[in-house]
Amino acid sequence: MFERFKEVYAQRHDYARAWKERTGGKLLGFFCTYVPEEILYAADVLPVRILGSHEPQDVTEAHIFGMFCPFCRDCLAQGLKGRFDYLDGLMIAQSCLHIRQAYTSWEKHRPVEFSYYLNMPHKVKSPRAKKFLAGELAGFVRAVEEWTGKTITDEKLREGIEVMNRSRGLMRCFYDLRRADPPPVTGAEALAVVLSNQMSDKREHSDQLEQTIGKLEGRTPPEQAAGTRLLIVGSEDDDMQFFEMVERVGGTIVTDEHCTGTRYFWNQVELNGGSPLEAIAARYCDRPPCPTKDWEIRDRVEHILKLAREWECKGAIVIQQKFCDPHELDTPAIKKALEAAGVPVLLLEFDVTVPVGQFQIRVEAFLEMLEAEDLF
Amino acid sequence: MITAGIDMGARTIKALVLRDGEPLGKSLVLAGFDTEASAKEALQAALADACVERSDVSRIVATGAGRDDAPDKDATLTDVGCAVRGAARLFPGVRTVIDVGAEEGRAIRCDEAGKVVDFAINEKCAAGSGAFTEAMARALEVPIEDLGALSLQSTKTIPMNAQCAVFAESEVVSMIHGNVAKPDMARAVHDAIASRIVSMARKVGYSAPVVLVGGVARNVGFVDSLRRGLEVEALSIPEEPEFCSALGAALAAAEGATGGAR
Amino acid sequence: MSAIPTYATERLACWDKAKELRQRYYQRYRDIKDKGGIRWAGGAWSLGAVPAGLGRDVACLTSEPYGASIAFDRAFSMKCMEAVERHGFARDLCSYMRNYWGSVLLDRYAFGGKFPKPDFLWQDHICCSHSKWYQVVSDLEGGIPYYCTDVAVGPAHEIDDNKIEYVVGQLLDGIEWMEKVTGRTYDDGLLAEACINEFQSTSTWAEICNLNKARPAPLDEKSMYSLYVHGTLEKHSREVADFYAELRDEVADRVARGVGAIEHERCRLISDTQPPWGFLKVFRYLEDFGALSIGSLYTFGLIGLWEDKPDGSWGPRTTPMAAGVDLGSREKVLRAYVEWNLHKPEWQHFYSPHLKSEMMLRICKEWNVDGVMLHYNRGCEGLSLGIAENRLALIEAGYPVLPFEGNMGDEREFDEARTMARMDSFMETLNLQRIG
Repeated sequence: MFERFKEVYAQRHDYARAWKERTGGKLLGFFCTYVPEEILYAADVLPVRILGSHEPQDVTEAHIFGMFCPFCRDCLAQGLKGRFDYLDGLMIAQSCLHIRQAYTSWEKHRPVEFSYYLNMPHKVKSPRAKKFLAGELAGFVRAVEEWTGKTITDEKLREGIEVMNRSRGLMRCFYDLRRADPPPVTGAEALAVVLSNQMSDKREHSDQLEQTIGKLEGRTPPEQAAGTRLLIVGSEDDDMQFFEMVERVGGTIVTDEHCTGTRYFWNQVELNGGSPLEAIAARYCDRPPCPTKDWEIRDRVEHILKLAREWECKGAIVIQQKFCDPHELDTPAIKKALEAAGVPVLLLEFDVTVPVGQFQIRVEAFLEMLEAEDLF
Repeated sequence: MITAGIDMGARTIKALVLRDGEPLGKSLVLAGFDTEASAKEALQAALADACVERSDVSRIVATGAGRDDAPDKDATLTDVGCAVRGAARLFPGVRTVIDVGAEEGRAIRCDEAGKVVDFAINEKCAAGSGAFTEAMARALEVPIEDLGALSLQSTKTIPMNAQCAVFAESEVVSMIHGNVAKPDMARAVHDAIASRIVSMARKVGYSAPVVLVGGVARNVGFVDSLRRGLEVEALSIPEEPEFCSALGAALAAAEGATGGAR
Repeated sequence: MSAIPTYATERLACWDKAKELRQRYYQRYRDIKDKGGIRWAGGAWSLGAVPAGLGRDVACLTSEPYGASIAFDRAFSMKCMEAVERHGFARDLCSYMRNYWGSVLLDRYAFGGKFPKPDFLWQDHICCSHSKWYQVVSDLEGGIPYYCTDVAVGPAHEIDDNKIEYVVGQLLDGIEWMEKVTGRTYDDGLLAEACINEFQSTSTWAEICNLNKARPAPLDEKSMYSLYVHGTLEKHSREVADFYAELRDEVADRVARGVGAIEHERCRLISDTQPPWGFLKVFRYLEDFGALSIGSLYTFGLIGLWEDKPDGSWGPRTTPMAAGVDLGSREKVLRAYVEWNLHKPEWQHFYSPHLKSEMMLRICKEWNVDGVMLHYNRGCEGLSLGIAENRLALIEAGYPVLPFEGNMGDEREFDEARTMARMDSFMETLNLQRIG
């Protein structure tokens, strides 16, 4: 049932090349979920998210200092090794410092036809932010028009918004199904769905997902979906191997709060009578924030507690990407809040490859602890 | 003219006596707690091996991490300078020198004349030194001198995290529990260290001929991994790679080197 | 072998004043509440002229220099680090921040007494840690009112009205917020005064750095650290603006008389990122070889403001007053203030390391630099951002570069012996031997 999604994720480059051949369209690789994909769809460009390949590599040391997170170096390695050489465009929306380096080094050493750094504001909670962002988006629209030679009308923007909104709506629907006890899908299966969403044409993905949701109504939950209900919190996370291990040893990941998961698709663009660009700006300012944009108050904490409550999570695994400062700055507060709410937390530090054996021991011990609490 | 070079390494002290450009005698001793005494011992043994007296030696240059502690010297020079001098003497025309010792790995780029242009030394969070192979040999319960040959029996590439030595060690433990064959694990270990070295070499930019020196050059498994990682036809390795820096120091002494501490 | 040059050297006349000014600043922050004043804490880039509108009895504690002050005292710093780690924070976080938090957790002020709690927090945000730093501070101190301004709007050459209005808008909102929080009425006259002071001090600091183009250089970077610090403490104060004017006159006089920072200057280097504060001796070590660091983009551009001069050289930025800019209203003053700060050289690399490489190459050329020492500073993700690309650009342009790893504020991550060994190798590469 999930083969197609898994395939897209595993063979993302083949998928992208095939799309290009089929449609003759342009492909743009992006870092960071604050990139306004609505605008790219409006210009008939396919945006694909750049993630790492989880392999050790020896090509980035000359470009990025080792103190920066393994993820940004893994991403840059993909570019330096030519794995994405089919891209016509490359862009980033301003969020954390580390990933910026993947963009600025890639752009210099493997230049593409079109590259763009969008100044996504950090103080998304300021009353001034939406107007500022709308202005920056207007500049971005002009740049994309110049690149593609197309005019991005309000009508096209509304179409782009519709593509993104439909996808987000279906993803929310799909995640809602996981509230059931047991959920009809495993966390690993869901991960394949959400990752493939970021790497493929959302129109195709939405058609597929709609069908899949239909089939799930009658599905007998797989055995691994009946495990201890867990929430995963983190930065970016596409460690399929890790998810599979957790679900092999008795856990089931029922929801998440990380940027390759719900933070990516959570809220919609609301067309409230204003211009499409204003609506897009509002959506990106109001969405569940990345820690770099979660201030002065931490809204993430409330949001995480809500997810834990509504998906009835017994425990939470916090995945800390090694050296990731923004998350390290939030993790103590999140851990404290979850534990105060009766949701024990297991904290694991991730690199591009994970010591699955060592982590299994910790996860098993954590699950035992969670189950034991039930008995008393 | 007779000169001598003494390499005060982290683990071992190497002394080499040179006459008119030709090595005459040498010795290697384990660096004891009293490094000055070990240095004296090494020099005495090298002189004996060369059949010369201390008074026959015109100048001595010391190198290595403990060079300032060498009791009997006229000047000091860094490992970088000495490794390149030694390598250029043994392999004229060398353009890249890779020196992997017990505690540090270095990649050095030089010009046609054998002058150092740029260098990199393994930074923190890097498993690029001999100490790492020793730890891995212990984990695998294989004598360190057998680790290289064992790894050559493998034809599998198992990716291992090469960023952090601590992470890598837990990966080995996982592999042991996962019943991975020992030759494959040994190879993975060597690939991991080589990867760190290759990463450094790319940082300074490397080109053939590449000379590999330092004690770890005796590890055939590491040599194979490094050659593959650098994507070069062959690596030039001296017969006694651990003496390259001492040779370089002795050559520098003959050139009249005056640098370093008093 | 060529002759070793010899220059006259002199102790700076205003050295003692520099020290005294710094001590007074930290004492004033601690003691101002006794006189009915108010105090705030925030970053050195916090746009500190804005809270000055609350009165003449407002003192501030800027976070990074305070963190650096703790770093000098390695024993105290160690205790701070440990306290923070016990509290659950990771070791690879900004080391200034950890020193600061440690000071709060241990309730010990580096300048005597208990940690003086600020009345409110006023911060700027450009590096990821900035806003979160004070989020944690507010938590640790039981909830101090906190306002942070986002200044990450893009590089100087792309500034437009939309960007300026976003930042000015936040400052206008911030002023209203401060009035509510402190109960005071805001004085636009004081705001204008403070901004003018800041325009002056930051432009004058650039003048001082510009004078280092001379040979021999009148100042060495190690000394400059003790002088630029005032610009990080209170660049919006009259004291600092006046002090820098006095310092500039003294440095210009040294240039006129050919007085150098070191006796045997024969090799000019620049460095980059903050130095390892606990190990400034590495700069003294260079002198044994006749080498000195004449500055860095960090020392020149952290607080200094620069521009292209008519002759194509890089020089001190013309102040709005000198350029005849209208500063007649709150909005106009804030506009000029924001625009001024958005041109800060040390804010550009946040958008692209290649912008920083260009500036570094410019410094190498105009200041006649022979080599570069790059501190790969694990303690600051913001200033180490892109440093590997800077290295590549410098090497490509033919400059010898020595990268060395360390930490500006956590001494556990600085290997003194290894760094000295690297410096020896670097001196060999530059064909420099010890003098005398």
